Amino acid sequence: MISVIRAFRSELLKFRRWSVLAVAGVMLVASTFIAYLTFHQIASGATGREMTGLIAAFPTPQGLVSIIGQARSLIIAIALVMVTANLAAEWSQGTLRNLLVCEPRRLRWLAGKMLALVLFVLLSMLLTLLMSGTFILAVAQGQGIQTAAWTSPEGLQVFLAFLGNEVLCLIGVSALGMLIAVLTRSVAAGVGIALAYILVVEGIIAVVLPQVTQWFPGRVFNTIVGTAVPMVGPTPPQGYPAALGAALLWIVGFVVVSAVVFPRQDIKA
Amino acid sequence: MPDPAAVFAIETHGLSKHFGRHTAVDGVTMRVPAGAIAGFIGPNGAGKTTTIRLLLGLVRPDAGSATVLGHSLTEFERYLPSVGALVEAPAFYPGLSGRTNLEVLARLGGHPGSRVSELLEVVGLSDRARDRVGTYSLGMKQRLGVAMALLPDPELLILDEPANGLDPLGIIEMREMLRRLAGQRKTILLSSHLLGELEQLTDWLIMLNQGKALFCGPARELFAQRVEVVVEAQDAVQLDLVARIAGEAGYAVTREDQVLRIACSAGFAETLNQQAKEAGAPDLTFRVREASLEQLFLALLRGDRS
Repeated sequence: MISVIRAFRSELLKFRRWSVLAVAGVMLVASTFIAYLTFHQIASGATGREMTGLIAAFPTPQGLVSIIGQARSLIIAIALVMVTANLAAEWSQGTLRNLLVCEPRRLRWLAGKMLALVLFVLLSMLLTLLMSGTFILAVAQGQGIQTAAWTSPEGLQVFLAFLGNEVLCLIGVSALGMLIAVLTRSVAAGVGIALAYILVVEGIIAVVLPQVTQWFPGRVFNTIVGTAVPMVGPTPPQGYPAALGAALLWIVGFVVVSAVVFPRQDIKA
Repeated sequence: MPDPAAVFAIETHGLSKHFGRHTAVDGVTMRVPAGAIAGFIGPNGAGKTTTIRLLLGLVRPDAGSATVLGHSLTEFERYLPSVGALVEAPAFYPGLSGRTNLEVLARLGGHPGSRVSELLEVVGLSDRARDRVGTYSLGMKQRLGVAMALLPDPELLILDEPANGLDPLGIIEMREMLRRLAGQRKTILLSSHLLGELEQLTDWLIMLNQGKALFCGPARELFAQRVEVVVEAQDAVQLDLVARIAGEAGYAVTREDQVLRIACSAGFAETLNQQAKEAGAPDLTFRVREASLEQLFLALLRGDRS
């Protein structure tokens, strides 16, 4: 356990890089901007089929989460790229050989690193939701829009349910990123494959085999969040308990495969 | 902790590693005595770096066995805490400072933070410690790599081309530092293409070519095996005759105007003189000198290739 904590503390130092902090910054600014655009459209009376649900949810306890949750896809994509690139860079940069001479028990190092990366992703997401939520609340109050339902106990409950499922979603996405990085051992290949899979491959298969893709990791991680607040994503067709079980199985699967493959790899980078 | 009874810090038996159909290391058997500075030489692609990676547990052998500091290669988590290594070009996080790069490894290895400042001082990087590594020259990265290797205060130091990118002053400083470390009874395995440097530093040599060990033993033993015979003559025909005799015996001959340089065994020097006289080349001046490491290296390589 001590060696996992050492790996975790060592990893924290690497977050001082501007490139890492920029990722959190982009997540925060872009998500707040998307939330503001959504709010502005609703507040300015925009209409349209895609706006109907949002307009209906606006005055309810789900209103605020429906607005700030519109940037979820972006947060998922950024988290996936961040974890995949950060881990794969240890191979691409050649720094992995230094690290594994210092800590030859590879799984302990990987556990410490992933713990730090997941914590960073979750804190970035939490900060993003809190900042964009506070911003939307302030703008709404500035425009004299009634926000009592958003900050009511029921509204808080909706937010916590959303947050809990979003945490699970991002843990799943991070585990997927870890597996892709371990298998590709390259930043370019890892990020390319991760984005292509989550944005394109699952979507194409969904057109042909919708019954099958509802169990695919990207869909499962996405739909469990939609259960809490339907306006922020699709709801799971197979039902929440089944989707939750599938999400947990995918996470365990990603971790097990990474834990089997990584210690057996030759480090040639 | 290393086994105090271990006479050899590194001992390998028939160590082999293949990458696909390419054999990188082919049954290498070698030893490095504890406390020695061992030179590890060979042309590019000879298998030096793969051997180093095998010793560090970064790649797994396909065949053979080895012990490092008295522990089997399979127990690398037991000996690696006492090993410091710089493998190939130094790799760092370019966006972090030199100090933070060392702190990352110090935290991971459980070394005190004070060790980082101490080592930055030792390698002469204290003034630039807070600058991003991305702004460092190759020589500075190399110094930082040596500091990284010294973090655990290692029993065994494995350095792959540590002088790469250093200026002459840096090379001299590196040489002195390695001598100081050897004086502290540390074992050093030093891979380098700077044969002149190795000649000055090492007391043990390992030569690799095409994945195979050509020589492993005390440097003086290798130097005693080989000499350089300098043959001078005014008559080019006589020189041609000597060159032919040496060439037929399988030795490398270098010609410079009226001088021949032949790297050969000590025993052959006398034979050559005798055979040349018998063949009708009496007016020759023979001088026998100790061969340089470079000449020995070339002679061994040519012998191996033939």
